[in-house]
Amino acid sequence: MESKPSIHSSSLTVDQQVFPGDVVLDLSKMTNQTIKLGGGLRQDGDFISVMKAGVLRFSKPNKYWVESSHKRYVPSAGDNILGIVVDARSDNFIVDIKGPTLAFLPVLAFEGGTRRNIPKFEMGTLLYVRVVKADTGMNPELSCMDGSGKAADYGPLKDGFMFETSTGLSRTLLSSPTCPVLETLGKKLAFEIAVGLNGRVWLNAATPSIIVLVANTIKQTESMSPTQQKIRVESLLQKML
Amino acid sequence: MNVEREGGRGTNQLRPMDCSRNVLSRAHGSASCSHGETKVIAAVFGPKAGTKKNENPEKACIEVIWKPKTGQIGKREKEFEMILKRTLENICLLTVHPNTTTSIIVQVAHDDGSLLPCAIHATCAALVDAGFPLKSLAVAICCCLTENGHIILDPSKLEEQKMKAFVCLVFPSSVNSVLPEGSTDASAKSTEQGIITSLSHGVMTVDDYFHSVEQGRAAVTPLSNILKKKMQSQFASNLSKAG
Repeated sequence: MESKPSIHSSSLTVDQQVFPGDVVLDLSKMTNQTIKLGGGLRQDGDFISVMKAGVLRFSKPNKYWVESSHKRYVPSAGDNILGIVVDARSDNFIVDIKGPTLAFLPVLAFEGGTRRNIPKFEMGTLLYVRVVKADTGMNPELSCMDGSGKAADYGPLKDGFMFETSTGLSRTLLSSPTCPVLETLGKKLAFEIAVGLNGRVWLNAATPSIIVLVANTIKQTESMSPTQQKIRVESLLQKML
Repeated sequence: MNVEREGGRGTNQLRPMDCSRNVLSRAHGSASCSHGETKVIAAVFGPKAGTKKNENPEKACIEVIWKPKTGQIGKREKEFEMILKRTLENICLLTVHPNTTTSIIVQVAHDDGSLLPCAIHATCAALVDAGFPLKSLAVAICCCLTENGHIILDPSKLEEQKMKAFVCLVFPSSVNSVLPEGSTDASAKSTEQGIITSLSHGVMTVDDYFHSVEQGRAAVTPLSNILKKKMQSQFASNLSKAG
């Protein structure tokens, strides 16, 4: 997916470890190009410098970002996340998304939402939501609709079990092609999973033992290579069946 | 210029240094750092919503809590808290998460001299672990002036007590850059030569001070390389499969 950019200087450190303060791009040498910056990078005059430690990634044609794994989530628009309702006001639900501030979910941000039919959520309800606005200096805004106003899969998650992981692990679980852990587990077991980019994972299955097995496997295989993961999952499944 | 030092160290020789990230499970970011026998554990919680009283709500607020190994918090600990806070405010990007507070808890596990540099490295690593936006890493070094006028780096507790004067310096770490070497740009130069914090104690001449700054600066590049290397090895295990 990622490849070395051919246009500019070869010293660019794509796919390598970068640390805060490292200068990765010189804008004065690339005047007639547009580049898009993702998390962990900032513009400092004529340079693009790094502000978070991680691996620098590049995606064609012009996207740059720093990939890292944390226990906290920094909201960004378009992310699908799992939030917990902590309070209900007349206009908004207040939702905890593991971010620096609590997020607002407008009561009308549901499919066919009107003043007449406002959904009722108890405190502690787990919701699968989308981040719509994430500007600095204000609380992020969430929505339970996709871009065309449909409910899609957004909304409350009933039953099941939720656990917290790092943002890096949730990104791996969502990556395509499907990560080996879920692929191998999915061949033998039937379970439902919802992964939020903010490092929350929700699971549901026919029996609690399957939920426990899947949750433990996901947590244990975080620091393994794909091949190790496959071997581990297969041995676990054999023990169980 | 030979000075007898404990353990046969040279004047510019630092003690073995170790640093590991993610040592605590509940903190959002944590790290432990050791310089020889000196060891400090730092934990970062946050950013949490809201700033404390008398802080600028348009910027992020940093709160440092210093926990000594034994005993009550006194003037010395309060001073360390203040120095750490001021130092960190200079390397953190405070405008990224305005109106938030980040708590940093520094626990001294063992004090064998050069405590402040060790604490600065530990907090810096913990902030990196938490993903807090930083301008650059900070590298700290303690320089001591002996009775007979020699300057030694990274003193132990015993050496610290015998000293005429000491100075603790914090520099921004050396950075990798795509810019060509010797670029004339002002901002690149300022990071190369800047000092974030300078804390001196005892009597020393101006010449001695500048000499120790020079000595300290020489240690910046190797120190930041060690720090980065220690952090990198842990990244690799976390991110090898994500690539």
